[in-house]
Amino acid sequence: MSFYKIILTVGFISLFHSAFSAAQHRSYLRITSQEFTTLPLDIVIQAVGSLFLLMWGVLNVAGNLREIQAAAELNNKTWETQKNIPSFYIFNHRLKAMSPYYVPNEGKGDLENLE
Amino acid sequence: MSISLKTVQNKPEPVAYSEAALRNNAIVMEYCRTSMAALSGSTAGVLGLTGLNGFAFYMFSVIILWAMFLVKAGPNWKKYYVSRQSLLTNGFLGALFTYVLFWTFIYGMVHVY
Repeated sequence: MSFYKIILTVGFISLFHSAFSAAQHRSYLRITSQEFTTLPLDIVIQAVGSLFLLMWGVLNVAGNLREIQAAAELNNKTWETQKNIPSFYIFNHRLKAMSPYYVPNEGKGDLENLE
Repeated sequence: MSISLKTVQNKPEPVAYSEAALRNNAIVMEYCRTSMAALSGSTAGVLGLTGLNGFAFYMFSVIILWAMFLVKAGPNWKKYYVSRQSLLTNGFLGALFTYVLFWTFIYGMVHVY
């Protein structure tokens, strides 16, 4: 698990905890029949802080940015990679007949005898 | 001769952008924006914001996300995005709906029930 995923998890837990605290504060106010004005400052700070933490985590988890210059990615490739075109591969060439280990095909007649 | 040289230099060099990279960066930004809307909506609900305060909080979190994005991209943000302004304003309303959804939901969960 990467560092930023841990940050995300911590942020979620912290946000959930502050939500729970806020709910408990509301129920406390309800029991003591006080009027709700604002949340206690520590809950506000925890909620906003965990929001920042989550934002920063999401920003880094979202993925890598790519350079938008059209040439930026081509510049990093070597000529060996650029010229590699699979459509032009040659597997069968008549020069192999020059090899000393070359065993010539018997021709069309042999193909018929195989069956 | 010097005059012609000058005109050549004044002409802005045309820049070719890679379509795939642009789209990739837009997707990254969209992902962040949607997550930010959901998360800040939840936070607004937890804080119990009502009325215009909630929308002000949305503006605040949009600007914070933008600032964080620029911090992350660093001084050479031009390598990744064409303009900073569109980074701030793109999908503003679409994310607002997500924000309101989460805001009302979490508000109901925390403060009403």
